[in-house]
Amino acid sequence: MSVTVRLPRVLSETVGSAPRHVVTGGTLGEVLETLFTAEPGLRNHLLDEAGVIRPHVLMFVDADRADIDTPVRPDSEVQVLQAVSGG
Amino acid sequence: MKRIAVGTEKGAYLLTGAGSNWEVEGPLFPGWKVTAFGNAPDGSHLAAVGSNWFGVGIHRSENLVDWSQTDNPPSWPEETGRRMEQIWAFHDDGARLWAGVAQAGLFTSDDGGFSWDPIESLNEHRTRADWHPGAGGLCAHRILSGAGSIWVGVSAVGVFRSDDGGVTWVPKNDGIPAVDTAEGAERPEVGYCVHGLAHDPADPFTMWRQDHRGVFRSTDGGDNWERIENGLPAGFGFVIWRSPASGRLLVVPLHSDENRVPVDGKLRAYASDDGGDSWQVAGDGWPDAAQFTGVLRGAFDGDEAGAFCFGTTGGKLWLTEDDGETWTELDPAFPRIAAIELVG
Repeated sequence: MSVTVRLPRVLSETVGSAPRHVVTGGTLGEVLETLFTAEPGLRNHLLDEAGVIRPHVLMFVDADRADIDTPVRPDSEVQVLQAVSGG
Repeated sequence: MKRIAVGTEKGAYLLTGAGSNWEVEGPLFPGWKVTAFGNAPDGSHLAAVGSNWFGVGIHRSENLVDWSQTDNPPSWPEETGRRMEQIWAFHDDGARLWAGVAQAGLFTSDDGGFSWDPIESLNEHRTRADWHPGAGGLCAHRILSGAGSIWVGVSAVGVFRSDDGGVTWVPKNDGIPAVDTAEGAERPEVGYCVHGLAHDPADPFTMWRQDHRGVFRSTDGGDNWERIENGLPAGFGFVIWRSPASGRLLVVPLHSDENRVPVDGKLRAYASDDGGDSWQVAGDGWPDAAQFTGVLRGAFDGDEAGAFCFGTTGGKLWLTEDDGETWTELDPAFPRIAAIELVG
């Protein structure tokens, strides 16, 4: 399995992470855990203290809005986006 | 040649220069708020960042230019139900690193900021149920240490002191008016809105406090506070700064709680050379044109050579290099400034 995870530049550049990662996992949650093993500094930015996706962070699996339990196919693409808000 | 790191609502900026000639680099951390600067016991620079989307982070640097994020910033244990909203302050006591955060709490690091532990003795203090947020949120924003004691200021709760290395904490607000207390009501144990704290490192129990309710002094480590506003145009403000060069005190008064801009638009630092007994406008160089802007508590820093710099909510920088006698407004303009670090 090789799931591609794409991060928003505002996150990847400041964290010092690549904007694109190839990881494994059968659900979005598993994909994120694999990502955090390689990039532990991302966990705090994508999940809150309860392990829930942050309220203004959106995740899509193959263009469909996803949550932690969403199944991921071996060739899926996960897109992380920041919600449009602020000033 | 000096460097000034400027933490703003939209990234950080680095100024290098002297007098009125400064080169600007940045933004660093583009798209992130930069909420505090500090130093680790090994001398590394620290920057606290935050995002409405991605939470908080801590970055370390050896030179203020190249930064790397640490992997484990302070985080509330899940069982507390709290969320890490902002890192407000760092404090290096020479051995340990401390961080004050919102939702209000204190964390320490024994490895220079790479990992953090909550200080439960303060964070779960017996008065916690009576802690209520001020306009800036419920935040621990000032930390001092000396002579075996530690002080932490929490808005809008008050100052706590620990005399046993952080094992126990006692509120120290006698003499300070409470924020919300009906006339005749019993004086509450907490509910005192400290904005800024300063002390003399050589005599740490002599302290000064810019509070929501005015400017105060204590000569006993906070056991008792007395009002010291002789010569000030207003008691409200956020900053109180003690010059490490001369011991001179500086504040930047704002009109009032309801009107957080300089009185009549006259942006001025006020100085006291007698420990707070009296205040006067600090030196000259101040503008005739109205400046309806403010100065936040973290946006003032200086060095032991008498150079100080503060940043305004309007994004401008004011610099003195002679212990507050002559002030210069620097040309660059930035977003709302929350944090300053000046390096000589």
